[in-house]
Amino acid sequence: MNRVNNELIEALADDLPPVRAMHFGEGMLLLGTAAGLTAVAVSMIYGLREAAFSGAASPYFYIVNGLLVLLGIASAASVISMALPRVGNRHDGPRWAMAMVGILPVAALISLFAEPSGLAAFPAHEWVCTTRGLAASLLTAGALFFWLRRGAPVSAKAAGLHLGVASGALGSAAYGLHCPIDGVAHLGILHIAPVLITALVGRFALPRLLRW
Amino acid sequence: MRADDATLSSLMAAAQRGERDAYRVLLSESSRWLARFFSRKVPPGQVDDLVQDVLLSVHAKRASYDPMRPFLPWLAAIARYRWVDHLRRVYRLEEQALDDHDVSKDSEEEAVIARFSLDRLFARIPNNQVQAIELVKIQGLSIQEAANRCGQSESAIKVNIHRGLKKMSTLIEEAE
Repeated sequence: MNRVNNELIEALADDLPPVRAMHFGEGMLLLGTAAGLTAVAVSMIYGLREAAFSGAASPYFYIVNGLLVLLGIASAASVISMALPRVGNRHDGPRWAMAMVGILPVAALISLFAEPSGLAAFPAHEWVCTTRGLAASLLTAGALFFWLRRGAPVSAKAAGLHLGVASGALGSAAYGLHCPIDGVAHLGILHIAPVLITALVGRFALPRLLRW
Repeated sequence: MRADDATLSSLMAAAQRGERDAYRVLLSESSRWLARFFSRKVPPGQVDDLVQDVLLSVHAKRASYDPMRPFLPWLAAIARYRWVDHLRRVYRLEEQALDDHDVSKDSEEEAVIARFSLDRLFARIPNNQVQAIELVKIQGLSIQEAANRCGQSESAIKVNIHRGLKKMSTLIEEAE
């Protein structure tokens, strides 16, 4: 080993404050806290939809929000794992979850085309659900971003994409606890749109902030 | 001393608690391991720089090591990340900068380690991209020399280097 390496090693060893090792479970706890606080904030600001808890909401409500929660958890778990890199990690799970959730807007469009008025039946005036879903994604996005910055993600683009998908899906699902609209087109498009938007932001804006 | 993974893992856990002697041993062992790891994948004159880059990254990101997991896969992921970054940086700065570099020396042990690690990334990208990266980035040929050597056009060499590096950066953890 050469002299420069020895000097570097000495310098690094001299500057060695203790650090708290990151664990996957700690990341999941952070995620759970952020998602839980978001749900509490939604209930305090907008109120919860009673039908959602009494079983009176339409099956679409449970299917869409259930898939969003699963997508959010799968993507967030991938993000948490990416902060703890190692050769042998795989991050394929969220891709399949994304493909499954991608069926929802397709189903919504098919149902819209089946309407006598076609795309004119699209409830564009209900877009507020998209913006509120986006707002509800911020806390989770911040928590996952903090986790990644603390860790050492070696695939910045994938990390950014999965962070965007996770925060968008969990944010939209959290706002879904309030939203009283059950229509296929509404849920399949306006509640999925936040995921698409945050995924694009995560994929294209975050990598430069995640490189180290 | 050639430490095994379990020893390195316990040294790193001690380093996370602030134990300096354990950290010195860990960095020394890691430095030797990294020098062998990189030996056939960068010109010899750049190995020390790259090893030092990785040691600095290990220091800055030591909290991201989970002591419940093996150490070397973590170190290898960081080494691969820095290697791809290094290849990219050299290319962007000065394409001809590698012209006069020697090819890495042969060593059976080093070759085994290198093939276990970085060649796994090459195995996942198309041959023409591997060829372009090896000729220009590792052997240090100019774009024109590489084009003459392998029969690809100069623009194809540049595109293949760009695409190969981009693809490898997505495979850092996966290719094993």
